[in-house]
Amino acid sequence: MATDTYDAIIVGSGAGGGMSAYHLTKSGMKVLMVEAGRDYDPRVETPMFNTNAEAPLRGASTPDKPFGFYDATVDGGWEVPNEPYTVAVGSEPFIWWRPRMLGGRTNHWGRIALRFGPLDFKPHSRDGLGYDWPITYDDVAPWYDKTERLIGVSGAAPARGLLNTPDSPPGCLMESAPPRAFEMFYERGFKAMGIPVIPMHGAVVTGQMEGRNTCLFATPCGRGCAIGANFQSTTVLIPPAMATGNLTIRTNALVYQVDLDKAGKATGVSFVDRKTGQHHSVTAKSVILAAGSGETARILLNSKSSKFPDGLCNTHGMVGRYLMDTVGLNVTGQFPALEGLPPTNDDGQGTEHTYVPWWGYEKQKELGFPRGYHIEIGGGRRMPSMGMGALLHDDDMSVGDDLRGKLRQRFGSTISFNGRGEMIPNDDCYCELDPTAKDKWGIPVLRFHWKWGESETRQAAHMVKTFVEVIDKLGGTPQGKIETDGKKAISKGGEMIHEIGTARMGHNDKDSVVNQYGQTWAVPNLFIMDGATMVSSPDKNPTLSIIALAWRSADNMATIAKQGAL
Amino acid sequence: MSDQPYVSKVDRRTAIAWIGVVGAATVAGAGVVVYGPKSGGISTAGYGTDPKLVKPEKAPWSRIMIPAQLQTAAILADFILPASGPAPSASQLGIPDFINEWVSAPYPDQVKDRPVVMNGLNALGAQVLKADAAGRSAALKALQTSKDPIAHAFWKKFRRLVIGAYYTTPEGFKDVGYIGNVPRPADPGPSPEVKAAVEAQLKTLNL
Repeated sequence: MATDTYDAIIVGSGAGGGMSAYHLTKSGMKVLMVEAGRDYDPRVETPMFNTNAEAPLRGASTPDKPFGFYDATVDGGWEVPNEPYTVAVGSEPFIWWRPRMLGGRTNHWGRIALRFGPLDFKPHSRDGLGYDWPITYDDVAPWYDKTERLIGVSGAAPARGLLNTPDSPPGCLMESAPPRAFEMFYERGFKAMGIPVIPMHGAVVTGQMEGRNTCLFATPCGRGCAIGANFQSTTVLIPPAMATGNLTIRTNALVYQVDLDKAGKATGVSFVDRKTGQHHSVTAKSVILAAGSGETARILLNSKSSKFPDGLCNTHGMVGRYLMDTVGLNVTGQFPALEGLPPTNDDGQGTEHTYVPWWGYEKQKELGFPRGYHIEIGGGRRMPSMGMGALLHDDDMSVGDDLRGKLRQRFGSTISFNGRGEMIPNDDCYCELDPTAKDKWGIPVLRFHWKWGESETRQAAHMVKTFVEVIDKLGGTPQGKIETDGKKAISKGGEMIHEIGTARMGHNDKDSVVNQYGQTWAVPNLFIMDGATMVSSPDKNPTLSIIALAWRSADNMATIAKQGAL
Repeated sequence: MSDQPYVSKVDRRTAIAWIGVVGAATVAGAGVVVYGPKSGGISTAGYGTDPKLVKPEKAPWSRIMIPAQLQTAAILADFILPASGPAPSASQLGIPDFINEWVSAPYPDQVKDRPVVMNGLNALGAQVLKADAAGRSAALKALQTSKDPIAHAFWKKFRRLVIGAYYTTPEGFKDVGYIGNVPRPADPGPSPEVKAAVEAQLKTLNL
């Protein structure tokens, strides 16, 4: 690995790192990608058609594999061996999902690919809460178009013009698979409540797309995809970047510091090899951090120097601040109307085929909470798991043919309603370096602080009310205890795995860490191209926006490089 | 219900590797073996954070059930899901081996289930292993309807494990009507028959 010839070092290989590598290498720049995890090839490592019976414990969740045995995540989950983090005393719970693999979280993500809308970029202008981005939807829209065409997104439909729920221009999206029986069914319940149901935007190739395989409509996307029919950095971005001959990848390299020269320019990064424990430094003309919001903030905070005693780019105490996640919770209902349907194949395209976008933008004052949520809805006759017994009433004790008959009757009769809502950044949610705790290699770790605001807990209570109402309208019964107190029903901080916003973009170095192109105010040849730069956390899942913004930033950076200004 | 001795479905090499770990249990006197969540000597290694997914290896931990417990598990599993027409019984699908894998596992959920299942099997075994058919049937039915909290907890847990283990097999798929996990060139959506059935239900709900 020749370390003095790179135009850029990219730290991280997920949505932001993969996209920036794709664009910069295609622009002719020599790039070194540094990834903390191991090499990973979905083409040969994805358990596409495995049954749960082939897996230990029938694939059930364990601390080693928290999302089940077949989840794509390698060497990670809520805990990563040798790499702890802490939560401050007095904080509400916060949990942090990390993989250690090439491609990062794009290997297992939910593939829900919704655009942020115009209001999402200017939330403060709308209601005086949170902060505005320095850019508008129109600035990002062309990059959403390009991103959807590149990664393959389903959900094409006639333009509806719903407020803050952008329609993609013709040609950007492929058609989703038709609604399944349970999706036809719940659509009517929401319709009776005046709530729209529209095609989901999913990062899955559902039709003909040049250079890509079409979905097999069979296996869960969370396992990854051996044929590359959904979006993973490791199948869609990194291979073409490698094909340019301009990309070098170094895996098992945990970056902990951006190195600077005396003039304050970035010269490269230092990392520890997770396998050998050896420390290394690599150099380049520029550095891009795309390690994920938490790790990116950690690297900046650990990069201390006389010029930046509190961490790089942290002169105004902005690094680690404005940490956000998505509000989440779930209510499941069981529906007699769906019992005993003829067997049908409900495996579908991996993502939901339809969903409910937020419908209350113009009713927020009467609703009593300022920001909204969308609803992701799961159901159907999916591959049985160890949870199969939950189909039965709690007091059911049947055996033999009686038991078999009940399971046949109720299989596929439950629907799970999952709210995903906007969080407004607040002063109580941030990360910093723990003053004492260190990882296996002696590097200070992050300490998280978390507290949901009333805007979020009231929204959570509304989710529960809505879900119980639609379950009732559809003649169903909620399963398990229903918690109507939003403060108790709401997810833990970080649990939705949408943590963003620790190095936000803005207008100047007093209000932000980077400019609208991810270029840090403090170090002109240091860029951030992951979710850390986000200013608000709309209900829409962040991955599509991370990719689109990384592409926009990388394009700007390539222009600067061509001008010789790096 | 299984009247034949249960023959483990694991291969011989694997079984030999597990021999000798039964001593992990604590002998409490008078032949009573009590399994607690911290049984010493049980292997604590899980499959790790980076197991092979495409061709999973057998769960690496040692197995703790002795033949009498496996036999009791077979009897109870087949009481819950006996063979029915083309559908095999639970023991024919090796469910007792799965119960063994589950209660032997080092993870928190399984460690929590271990004493519930093992002590339940021991108690039931004392009633069924040497009983005649009528006595065995009576003991199983008594367990099914027991109000005793310990017996009831065992029954519920064991039945859930049997149902989960059974219906995650191809035979279970067939029995319950799961017809997915096959590649398709397109997803055509529900058939006219399914759509008509859903529409009929929606009509009754006035939707």
